[in-house]
Amino acid sequence: MSLYEGAVRRPIMTSLVFTAVIIFGLFSLMKLPIDLYPDIDTNTIMVFTYYNGASAEDVENNLTRPLENTLNSVEHLKHVTSNSKDGVSVVTLEFEYGYDIDNLTNNVRDKLDMVSNSLPADANTPIIFKFSTDMIPILLLSVQAQESQKALYKILDDNVANPLARIDGVGTVSIIGAPEREINVYMDPVKMEAYNLSAAQVASAIAAENQNATNGTVDIGTLTYTVRTEGEFDDSRQINDIVVASNGDGKVYVKDVARVVDDVEERAQQTYTNGRQGGLVIIQKQSGANSVAISNAVMEQLPELRKNLPSDVNLNVMVNTSDNIMNTIHSLTETISYAMLFVVIVVFLFLGRWRATLIITITIPMSLIASFIYLYATGGSLNMISLSCLSIAIGNVVDDAIVVLENVTTHIERGSDPKQAAIHGTNEVAISVIASTLTMIAVFFPLTMVSGMSGVLFKQLGWMMCIIMTISTSSALSFTPMLCSQMLKLQKKQSKLFKTIYRPIQKMLDGLDNVYERMINWAVRHRWTIILASVLFFIASIYIMKIVGIKSEYFPANDNGRVSCTIELPIGSRKEKAKEVADELAYKWMKRYGKDLRACNFTIGQAGDNNTFASLQSNGSHIISFNLNYVPSNERDKGLVVICDELREDCKKIPEIAKYRVQLGGGNSNMGGQSMATFEIYGYDLTETMNVAETLSAKLAENPMVGQTNISRSDYVPELVINFDRDKLAKLNLTMSAASASVRNLITGSLMSFYREDGEEYDIKVRYEPDARTSVDNILDMLIPTQSGNVRVRDIATIEESAIPPTIERKDRQRITTVTAVLKDGYALSDGVEYGRSIYENMDIPAGITVQVAGSYEDQMDSNRDLGTLGILIIILVFIVMAAQFESLTYPFIIMLSVPFAFSGIILALCLTGTNLNIMSMLGGIMLIGIVVKNGIVLIDYTQLLRERGYGLIRSAVAAARSRLRPILMTTLTTILGMVPMAVGQGVGAEMWRPLGVSVIGGLTASTILTLIYVPSMFCIFGSNGIKNNRRKMRKQRELDAYWKEHKAEETFKKSKKKQKHSTDTTAPAE
Amino acid sequence: MKAIFIAYDQAHQENVMEVLSRMNIKGYTMFEQVMGAGTKTGDPHLGSHAWPTMNSAIITIVPDERAVTLMERLHELDANNEMLGLRAFQWNVEKEI
Repeated sequence: MSLYEGAVRRPIMTSLVFTAVIIFGLFSLMKLPIDLYPDIDTNTIMVFTYYNGASAEDVENNLTRPLENTLNSVEHLKHVTSNSKDGVSVVTLEFEYGYDIDNLTNNVRDKLDMVSNSLPADANTPIIFKFSTDMIPILLLSVQAQESQKALYKILDDNVANPLARIDGVGTVSIIGAPEREINVYMDPVKMEAYNLSAAQVASAIAAENQNATNGTVDIGTLTYTVRTEGEFDDSRQINDIVVASNGDGKVYVKDVARVVDDVEERAQQTYTNGRQGGLVIIQKQSGANSVAISNAVMEQLPELRKNLPSDVNLNVMVNTSDNIMNTIHSLTETISYAMLFVVIVVFLFLGRWRATLIITITIPMSLIASFIYLYATGGSLNMISLSCLSIAIGNVVDDAIVVLENVTTHIERGSDPKQAAIHGTNEVAISVIASTLTMIAVFFPLTMVSGMSGVLFKQLGWMMCIIMTISTSSALSFTPMLCSQMLKLQKKQSKLFKTIYRPIQKMLDGLDNVYERMINWAVRHRWTIILASVLFFIASIYIMKIVGIKSEYFPANDNGRVSCTIELPIGSRKEKAKEVADELAYKWMKRYGKDLRACNFTIGQAGDNNTFASLQSNGSHIISFNLNYVPSNERDKGLVVICDELREDCKKIPEIAKYRVQLGGGNSNMGGQSMATFEIYGYDLTETMNVAETLSAKLAENPMVGQTNISRSDYVPELVINFDRDKLAKLNLTMSAASASVRNLITGSLMSFYREDGEEYDIKVRYEPDARTSVDNILDMLIPTQSGNVRVRDIATIEESAIPPTIERKDRQRITTVTAVLKDGYALSDGVEYGRSIYENMDIPAGITVQVAGSYEDQMDSNRDLGTLGILIIILVFIVMAAQFESLTYPFIIMLSVPFAFSGIILALCLTGTNLNIMSMLGGIMLIGIVVKNGIVLIDYTQLLRERGYGLIRSAVAAARSRLRPILMTTLTTILGMVPMAVGQGVGAEMWRPLGVSVIGGLTASTILTLIYVPSMFCIFGSNGIKNNRRKMRKQRELDAYWKEHKAEETFKKSKKKQKHSTDTTAPAE
Repeated sequence: MKAIFIAYDQAHQENVMEVLSRMNIKGYTMFEQVMGAGTKTGDPHLGSHAWPTMNSAIITIVPDERAVTLMERLHELDANNEMLGLRAFQWNVEKEI
């Protein structure tokens, strides 16, 4: 008993099996996490090595180079880049995608063990750090405060950060813009000198006093007592009364030489949200945790947290990354439901039967729901890729069901009993249904083998489509015939309403059939004209592409409503100046964007030493970091790319701004950002490479299509260098390190002790008054304690002003500087890269310096190459499947020749809509290979069938074309209409899949129209050639036979003569 | 006794069986899958790419009086579904063991 016979004979079992599948699918759906992209494994490992006191160049030579040389041999390494800064070397290893990061880490660790002996003795052990997208904050909470500003850190730490950190999945919670409390002891240099005291004395006196100690235990009577000394301060004011030095009766207290200030840390960042000062709470997730789940948990807890805050503290959500994810998923879900609706309408229009339409409507969601089981089982998530996949699949899954349904209907109309019709009808088409699924699998399966960044996206799509297609085929061969046997019946009488509705449609379709038949009739008689016209169409489309020009980009820019903007004033600018500029910009932007701008937040100032999040980002008194959050893309008129361009213009207009970097998407992903042309300048000489970089950057900035340019190398930082005289130091019995530590203590402060209150620890910092460290003279006047009294810096050292060499960057073991140009909206990456290339090729570049294009253009080229190979592989596979089905090489060849028309269609569609050619539209092109050939298969298969039934060549082509027009139109329209919501979608994230929809619609429309005309003509050409060949063969055979008849005697004689001769020849040597 | 050979489109299977059982004809021999083509009308049933459908065939030996009714009923069945195709041929049984 075959599958379909079993299914038809056991309807209860069949329907329950599929019900079970649906239940499991829905169960999986409920459990599926939601995310924006499929899980992208980390592919980057960083190696940090600290080397105190070494300059950037020393670090480069002694640390970075040996590390790079050894690590370069780790398997699967793509690029090794490094940053050598003052005292630290950071080597970043970028691996190929798709390898287990834990294995790679172990390999890196092994290599580090090998090299560790040859590293400088003073350098610390290298630390391995895995970077992943998990480091990106998922939630930003803005805090506005007034009276509580000073205590904000503690308030937030106790009431917000700690409770949030307890939520499952939350990684770190950092607070920015709220300075921490600090006890500052400011010493007066004059008084210190008068009392002949050193800073170290004061600091150690405070540390010595501020201590609790256990002195042991004593037994008194029957009890054992613990003896303790309690010296820790209960109040910061107690520090004032500590004796620093005494001389008989005369005592010097701290208050005599210093001022104790219980305040906040000196250098701190300030954060302003919508013009009001406050703080920023940044929540990062744990590795592997689901961001949507976490943000939901956080959002649930927020009202609770707000209750515990003082009334002047406002806690609001500034950025919730899950909003964008949810909106995107929501708009995709909407897209899918529209696609489903369109498909159902098409099926009804063409089949004209309620029951048949109902069957299709039941089978579509089933295959889709079943794919959730796969997602759940493999730990996948509901994301943009898996959902677009459903949207793509809708149009395809109906095809199998339609073919079966149509054939069963034919059988019923011939008078079969529905049950018999279902079994035999399915039996007849089973092979071709399986073959057409195989062509689809031939297209999608290779997608699972793509490597690199695009592989991450395509892998899931490939698997999902393979699974959906397999399920839809098995359901078409079991569930659909079962439903047909139960629901379909010969319609002997149709209702009046139905007749009035359907008759015009019927008439129109019949008319279409007639027109098409006439057209084909003409076409097969003028087949060379048709072929010529088709070829001309293809050539014309290529010319159009050349003339209009299709812009290429790597990945469409994703509008998540977030912009981050880092603005640098000239180095050394004070925080107050930064605040002024930031205020001006914030005011301008809030006024211009009004309601569209949900939150405008900026942070200025230098971060404290122990702020992990802030220390990962660039900060300094001259740097302003903006965080702008806009309403979702469908609620505002301006696209994010346009907004970014406007922001850049504003930055350009302010003369105080030295550098600015506006990043679309808040810089949270390397996918979906704005097009950036990246140029790498390799060369050893730092000055020369910098010159090249600056020239290139300046010339790029002149072009109107460039919005901003950035040079990766930072500017020289001004510094004051204290040069101690070694002889003088030796005379005073001082070491260089002791002398420099003394100066450090006076400026940065010595941290010898902590003040404890309510279980919290605060730093007690002892240093000079702020006024006493504002000039070079101040430093020269500083006192360094020696065994023979204090000595001034000016007596043993000179100070000179200079600049610290910048960070030395290297890539693949060569020094490098990168110039990045962000292109404005409407300009394609290819243009920017071309322009940049023309600049540096005409530049006078010194010997030893090379410039090359890299970045996303390199990725784009890589993925283009991958997709190209993939395309060829797919074409071969599809050809094999078709050749196997037809048992012929000619027919697959005819069908394959229709694929170029799909590409013409894509080109025209992209040109017409002004869509860029990117990875999504190319994906559409690849999918089309499978979809397009399906039409050809249907047409050729039926023509061949008619030929076998004894029809003449032309008649079979025309009759087959007429009879297959509707099925072809129906399957094509379901696919096209299934894509329409994708192509015209306006929802959040629609810009990502629009190119896919546009290319599939364009390609499929053009190729279907052409296939319908071209394939019958081509079939006739090959068919008539076949006939002619046959005739020629037969004629030759006939002539040969005639000749044989005539010359039989002669030929046999010749032969026998030859034989005789031959035998004499062979026997000759024996004689 | 008459021998009746019925060749029909597979889709008729249940109908033919029903006719037989209604007439209480218990004995028959069936060929589930046979190929065949009609002389005048109807599509061939060859199980091929061009003609995918197949026939079944039954030979049943019935008393003379029943043979008439059976032939009538089969004719009725065929007339109801002309597109499927059903043919029946009757001849004499000369000996039986």
